[in-house]
Amino acid sequence: MIQLNKNYSLPERLAEFIPIKIASVGGAGLNVLDRIILDGLERADVVAINTDVQSLTSSVATRKVQLGRSVSRGLGSGGDPEVGYQAALESADEIREALADSDVIFICAGLGGGTGSGAAPYVAQAAREAGALVIAFVTLPFAFEGKRRNAQAREALARISEFAHAVVCFENDRMGDLTGPQAGIHQAFAMADITISQSVRSIVNLVHRPGLIRIGFDDLLAALRTRNSRCLFGYGESDSDNRAHDALTQALKNPLMDRGRMLADATHVLVQVAGGPGMTLSEIEILMQEVGRHVGDQTQILFGAVVDGPLGDRLGVTIISSLSAEEEAGLLQHAPTPSNASTSSPACEDYEPATPQPELQSEEPVVEPTPVEETVPFDGAMAAEVLPAATPISTETPLIPTRNGEPEHLISKPHEKSTSWKEEKAFAEKPAPPAKQEVLQFEPVTRGRFEKSEPTIIEGEDLDVPTYLRKNVKVK
Amino acid sequence: MANNNLMVGLEIGTSKICVVVGEGRPDGTLKILGVGEAPSRGVRKGEIVDFETAMKCVHEAVVDAEQKSDVMIKSVYVAVAGSHLQSFNNRGCVMLPEDRDEIDEQDVEDVKINAREVSIPAQNAFLHSIIQHYQVDGQQGVLNPVGMLGQKLEADFHIIHGVRTRIQNTIRCVKELPLEVEDVVFSGLASAQVVLTQQEKDLGALVIDMGGGTTDYVLYSEGAVRQSGCLAVGGDHITNDISMGLRIPMARAEKLKVEEGSCVLGNCLPGEMILLKDDSGFAGKEIECETLNTIIYLRLREAFELLKRRLEQEPYLGYLGAGVFITGGCSLLSGIDHLASEIFETPANLTHAQTAWGVTSAVENPQFSTAIGLVKFAQVMDTDRPPRGFSRIFGKLFSGKR
Repeated sequence: MIQLNKNYSLPERLAEFIPIKIASVGGAGLNVLDRIILDGLERADVVAINTDVQSLTSSVATRKVQLGRSVSRGLGSGGDPEVGYQAALESADEIREALADSDVIFICAGLGGGTGSGAAPYVAQAAREAGALVIAFVTLPFAFEGKRRNAQAREALARISEFAHAVVCFENDRMGDLTGPQAGIHQAFAMADITISQSVRSIVNLVHRPGLIRIGFDDLLAALRTRNSRCLFGYGESDSDNRAHDALTQALKNPLMDRGRMLADATHVLVQVAGGPGMTLSEIEILMQEVGRHVGDQTQILFGAVVDGPLGDRLGVTIISSLSAEEEAGLLQHAPTPSNASTSSPACEDYEPATPQPELQSEEPVVEPTPVEETVPFDGAMAAEVLPAATPISTETPLIPTRNGEPEHLISKPHEKSTSWKEEKAFAEKPAPPAKQEVLQFEPVTRGRFEKSEPTIIEGEDLDVPTYLRKNVKVK
Repeated sequence: MANNNLMVGLEIGTSKICVVVGEGRPDGTLKILGVGEAPSRGVRKGEIVDFETAMKCVHEAVVDAEQKSDVMIKSVYVAVAGSHLQSFNNRGCVMLPEDRDEIDEQDVEDVKINAREVSIPAQNAFLHSIIQHYQVDGQQGVLNPVGMLGQKLEADFHIIHGVRTRIQNTIRCVKELPLEVEDVVFSGLASAQVVLTQQEKDLGALVIDMGGGTTDYVLYSEGAVRQSGCLAVGGDHITNDISMGLRIPMARAEKLKVEEGSCVLGNCLPGEMILLKDDSGFAGKEIECETLNTIIYLRLREAFELLKRRLEQEPYLGYLGAGVFITGGCSLLSGIDHLASEIFETPANLTHAQTAWGVTSAVENPQFSTAIGLVKFAQVMDTDRPPRGFSRIFGKLFSGKR
């Protein structure tokens, strides 16, 4: 096996540099990884993990880990997750070594196959044990790939969710909409890779780019944290005269976004605007107004703005959100698999609860429980300077751009956070989204046409009542 | 009827009443001479709730059939459905007298009676007792024991029974017209007669006849009926769900279901809308395609899952060699076969009457499966088994000769 041990991570990192690793597991993961590398991502290490030597060899990743030298003998796992899992167990030490020394680990895997479904949960576990923030990007197979694969994928997704802080799940079936019906299958898969690559890169950039109004991991987690199985992601870039509008339109064009319609149901929407030095306040204003049209009144908008020199005249918009399970149940064919990132998750033992932070001044009275921020030390060496998170305004850190976790603070004076993300060493988790108020039906549920006929009651359910009412699926 | 080979099937369905006139050919095939139909009113979930109205509709359908087939209809086979129908498997047993060891016709009759000697609720009546297999002195899988030597004759029967008065309601409705009722047949069983070939019955097949008010199912394994029943959920429920979910009138909902409905999610473009035109043709309400399909999908999925749970009470579902066969009006809904195969984890086929020929449009419409099945059932009764009623003795004589 070829193992390149070039490690691009700098021994002495800049203060705001967050060591990020992107680990991709399995064949599909490798494809995505190659795409990410080819698209250019300079601020993260990449690790390719697979059972199949051939695909590892052809991968452009700098660091490669071959799983299960004796279990699969350099071949693939033959679509059997058990083989994948055994292979991962065999190479457990190598995986740990590869994942060490990073604060954030992205795991990319295509679920359904052997290595992706079998090894990815293990990699997630190892990453979690390494003390990193784990965000998994997974794809679910196309429905035509068969029920077995789909079942394997869902099982794996559930397992990954146990370990990862957030799971961004792309359904290939939905990704199919990215391409026209005439497009070849190759193109469809490539488009899926590109979309995932885009979202990984945008999240990496999101965290790295020093922002005017910074978006931190806490915001990211808040946007992704709902028990979702569908991530909404959109990225758009434009350098036209009307670049703010065009970039947003492009971002909303992403099929995962459903032209912004999906946003209406999301509880948190993360919007980051990145532009060159020429970006104007009014542009952002126009853009955010347009975003505001797509989201509901109760939606928390996590806004960030970044000035990035290399962008030049271009303006980029990143929108990330997720649909919670109940919102999605009606939209999604399969039962949503719980993904995690919830503070209540038992796997979160490495978080130590910190001081509750009062809600930063919010302009709209969002009815929410008192937010509790939880912090986690990333690195033993760095004494956890748990910042006085309760101080919304601080002046002591001129170096570090501000971070603002509050919605719609664009016009108002941004509240500066006292420390950078690194110094702060904390993941703040947003409080749970406000509990949805169910409208109680005082009227006995109507049976419509069957009002006068004998009720059909089977297994305790009145089948004459529409199924969607009984299952509480929201129908617009 | 002038010609004894003419047989008429009448199905009083929830959404429509249809009458099929068929002619049995000497070679065993069936020719459909004409089909009459009329929209049904006064029927809910396969049962008559408004006697007068239903009777008028039946009359309309019969007249239609008479005109189309140019036949005077005097007697009919009637299909019954409804959630009151139940079924179970039972084994009957007779011991032959010491001095005789050849099984004869009478013993077979006796064992059939014996098999029926089980307690069903007092208000219930037997509708069918269908032979599965005979066993002679423990020898399994005997198809025709007459003439065999043995002391102990056992028979496994599949028994379908239902509430007597409810079955009689249907009979009375026809008799008032007045028409003779030759026999009443469980509608699922009737459909299975024309939907399945003998080979498929042998391999194992599940017939789901999803009509307007009920979903009838019959499961065959090794050529015999193993499970059957009726779920009082059908196309009407889907229409009702759509009507309530989208807040549109029933008639519009029905049209929407037929024209645009599908039970496959994720096939619509995101945000694809259906524009509903009002009566004057002006643009009315816009409805999202996916919403419509979600409503249909949830209902159908639930119905199939219910069905699956019922069938799983016995071990036959896992041995469906031929798969699932969906017929009835609901089978016209796009994607229903995919949903069924997903849930039952076996190939699902959309079918219509297979073993009949004649008025092609009728034969190929799954909505007529039951009515055509009735005719087929009648034909099978005429040739295979001693007919009931007056001709019983003759029937016995004939079968004795064979």
